[in-house]
Amino acid sequence: MKVLKRVLVLTVLAVMLLSMGACGSKADLTDYEYVKDKGTLVVGITDFAPMDYKDENGEWIGYDADLAKAFAEELGVEVSFQVIEWGNKILELDGKTIDCVWNGMTLNDEVKAGMSTSNPYLKNAQVVVMPQDVAEQYPDVASMKDLQFAVEEASAGEEMAEVNGFKSTPVLDQATALLEVSSGTCDAAIIDLLMSDAMIGEGTSYANLTRTIELNSEEYGIGFRKGSDLTEKLNDFLKKAYDDGTMAQLAETYNISADTIIAQ
Amino acid sequence: MTFFEQFPIVIQALNEGFLQTLKLFAVTLIGALPLGLLISLCSISSFKPLRWLTRTVIWMVRGTPLMLQLMVIYFFPGLILNNPIWGSDETGRFWASAVAFIFNYACYFSEIYRGGIEGVPRGQQEAGEVLGMTRSQIFFKVTLLQMIKRVVPPMSNEIITLVKDTSLARIISLQEIIWAGSSFMKGSYGISGQIWPLFFTGLYYLAFSGLLTLLLNRIEKKLSYFHA
Repeated sequence: MKVLKRVLVLTVLAVMLLSMGACGSKADLTDYEYVKDKGTLVVGITDFAPMDYKDENGEWIGYDADLAKAFAEELGVEVSFQVIEWGNKILELDGKTIDCVWNGMTLNDEVKAGMSTSNPYLKNAQVVVMPQDVAEQYPDVASMKDLQFAVEEASAGEEMAEVNGFKSTPVLDQATALLEVSSGTCDAAIIDLLMSDAMIGEGTSYANLTRTIELNSEEYGIGFRKGSDLTEKLNDFLKKAYDDGTMAQLAETYNISADTIIAQ
Repeated sequence: MTFFEQFPIVIQALNEGFLQTLKLFAVTLIGALPLGLLISLCSISSFKPLRWLTRTVIWMVRGTPLMLQLMVIYFFPGLILNNPIWGSDETGRFWASAVAFIFNYACYFSEIYRGGIEGVPRGQQEAGEVLGMTRSQIFFKVTLLQMIKRVVPPMSNEIITLVKDTSLARIISLQEIIWAGSSFMKGSYGISGQIWPLFFTGLYYLAFSGLLTLLLNRIEKKLSYFHA
C-alpha cells in the first residue's frame, strides 16, 4: 500500500512537469513573426512626460508613445502600453511579457549588453539637481566631491556618479532620487535632462530644487529582445519618420527642442 | 495646477489603485484560507513522503522573500518555458500576484492551523472514540471546531499583515495603491513632481486595517464559546 502511494505521488509530479514543458513550443518563430502572430506589440514604459504619459482621458500619449503607435501601425499589429518596474526591463523582455522598451531609454553598456537596441533617435544628458539655495556653492564637478548623490539604480545617472567619483546611493527610480534630495537625506541627485524639466521647479513639490551642470551627453534608443529581427524593421521606420518630418512634428507637439533629434 | 485641482484627480487614481489592493487582499484570503487547511492536513499526514514533501514546500515558501516568489511566478514561464502564460496586461499581473500571495499565505496559515489542531488535547479524540464517533466526525466536530477559535488571534495578525504586503506586487508592476501614489512623483494625468499622494495612501491602509481589526475582534468574541 505504501509503495503504491509513493508511485502515485511520483507519477502525479512527473505528469505536472511534463505538461508544463509541453506548453512551451513556440521557439522557432522569429521575433517579428511572434509579434505578428499574436497581433499586438506590447511596449514597456514607465509613465513619464513628455515621452510616455496619460492624457486626461487616460490615453497614452507622448513623443515615444506616438512614435510607437505609428510603428505598430506599419507592422500591421495593435499596440498596447504596459507600465513596468524599470529595473526589471530586461526580465520583462526575456520573459516575453513585453516586446520592446520604448521610454526615453539611454543607450548605455548595460542596455546594449542585455537587449538588441535601435539606432539612437534623441539626445539627452545627465544633469545634477540640488537645492536652489546651495547651488551657487557647487559650480563644477570638483566642488561636488564631498556631496552625497542619490541616483536611480542601474541608470545612466549611477554610471555618471561612478565616472566622476561621486559618493552615491542607488534608489528605486529618479523620482525617489528627488525625494531624497528634497528631504535632505542626500545632497544632490543625478537625473535625465528631459525628466528634470518636467519634475522640478515651479508648481511641483520640488520648487526649491534646481538643475545645475550637465555631466555628459547621451542618446536615447529603443530596445528589443536579444537577436530580434524587429530592430532592423524599427531602424527602417525611424529613417522614414525622420525623413518625412514626423519626428520634428512630434518634438514640436511635446515641447522637445528640435536640436535634440538625431538625424537617421 | 493648484492643490485643490489636483486633489480629485489624485483621489480617483488612488481609489483605482486601492481597488486593486482590495481585490488582491480578498482573492488571497478566499484562496489561502482553505488551501492552508489542506496543506496543514498534508503536513501532519501519517503518510511520510507526503508529510516530508509538504514540509519541504512550506520551508521553501516561508524561507524565501515573497517579492522573489512574485518574480519567479510571473517571469519564469516566459524565461524558462518560453511561454509567457500570464500575458502582459494588468489582468495577467493580477492573477500572477494572486497565485503567489495565495500560496505564500496558505503556507503561513497552514502552520497556524497545525498549531491549532495539535493544541487540542489528545484526550478529546479518545473521548470521541469512546463515544463511537468516526474519524471524520471526530475531526470536524471535535478538533476543527476548537481549532478555529484557537487560531483566530494569530490569524488576525497575518490578515492585517496581508493588507500591507499587497504592496509588494508592484515589483511585477501591479498598479496597486502605492504604485498609484508614487506615480505622481514622476508624472501622471498631467500632475508631476508631487510627493503628498504617496504618503496620503497611508490613510487608506489605516482606515482599512482599522475596519478589519473591529471585524476580527467581533469574530473572536462570537467564538468565545466553551472557555478552556
